Amino acid sequence: MYKNGIYWESDKMSDLLCDNYHIVLVISRFGIPLGFGEKNIGEVCRQNNVDTFTFLTVVNFLVEETGTPLTQVNKKLSLETLIVYLHNAHDYFLNFRLPHIRRKLTEAISECREDVAFVITKFFDEYADEVNKHMLYEEKTVFPYVKNLLNNRKDPKYNINIFRKRHDQIERKIIELKNILIKYYPGPGSDLLNSVLFDIFATEQDLATHSRVEDYLFVPAILALEKQTNE
Amino acid sequence: MSTNLKIALAEPSVIVRNGLESLLKRLAGFRIQLIEIAHTDNIPESLRLHKPDLLLINPTLPGYGQIERIREESGCQQLKCFALLYALTDNRQLADYDDQINIYDNADEIRHKLERLYSNEPEEAVTGDTEEQQILSAREKEIVVCVVKGMTNREIADKLYLSTHTVITHRRNIARKLQIHSASGLTIYAIVNKLIALSDIESVSK
Repeated sequence: MYKNGIYWESDKMSDLLCDNYHIVLVISRFGIPLGFGEKNIGEVCRQNNVDTFTFLTVVNFLVEETGTPLTQVNKKLSLETLIVYLHNAHDYFLNFRLPHIRRKLTEAISECREDVAFVITKFFDEYADEVNKHMLYEEKTVFPYVKNLLNNRKDPKYNINIFRKRHDQIERKIIELKNILIKYYPGPGSDLLNSVLFDIFATEQDLATHSRVEDYLFVPAILALEKQTNE
Repeated sequence: MSTNLKIALAEPSVIVRNGLESLLKRLAGFRIQLIEIAHTDNIPESLRLHKPDLLLINPTLPGYGQIERIREESGCQQLKCFALLYALTDNRQLADYDDQINIYDNADEIRHKLERLYSNEPEEAVTGDTEEQQILSAREKEIVVCVVKGMTNREIADKLYLSTHTVITHRRNIARKLQIHSASGLTIYAIVNKLIALSDIESVSK
């Protein structure tokens, strides 16, 4: 049985979610639907063909808010599963979260001066564009590289350090938008605008954790694999 | 405006680490990013990797009594160090530390110690400004307008009869005061505060 952190394979999946509501987003990124009744984490994972060890590694990493890179990469960690997870997270940000915030934001600021609404929307679009580029690079370059590496076909021109060096903090600009709205928004306050602010706070957190999984779990695991392939 | 601070905490006890973490994260006026170092062997490597502003360390940890050695080994010459004390400790042992935190300190005391650490630094490095310092000067507003129009530092310098170096300093101060770093963020600021009209901005009218 896997016990590699606070939560174990034998713990109830529903307890994990009730204690840590942000894990709701995580399980859907692993492709696990709700409605798991009394089943434990291991049972739910097996039922959905998700590697239990990798699931627990990610969940415990997030719940414990580990602030350091993984030092000992366990061979049981499945990079395929991790890529599915990261890919679904990208899909969620690009095709659900950001468009959703944009719709809400445009509606919330429609009461505001037209020129202000225009530049705020423009700022948001530029930001969404940046996130898009950032994530597409991972989808188009990093993931294929790792998949080839897993099949013993190492691209001699690429290594994960290239990614590590250029991996920037994508949540920085959305923090700026949040600051601007809080400090300088000139229109009347509204429940909808507050709700957008809540979404932005949550997205900032979510993006930061997403980067943390990439930097502290994904990258060390690939480094270990590269080392193993070179030997 | 809160001060960003990256603090490394070298402490083997998970209870003490978590306690300090929840206390530090709640401190008003600081946005603290904590790097936990549970194993003393990892100290130099962690410091090299994360380059924190401040190291909190128990001076009785074996092998880490000397701060100079830590600074050298980790390549962080500017690193500030606080001693994390559980019990009375010989003053001579503490002489090299910038300050000390006792585990019976309360949140206010810790906050004062962190604030004091930054009060000796030159004005520019201090981010915990008073309110009136956050308002832009007339010159800074002029520069914001130029940046929003898409002018380069060189062009701004020529137009306002300044050196590029001065323009860069102004821009840094603007970013610090407003906490806005991007040109598109400054555009929102400029439009909201009516420093410029939308029609005067080339990049958006395109």
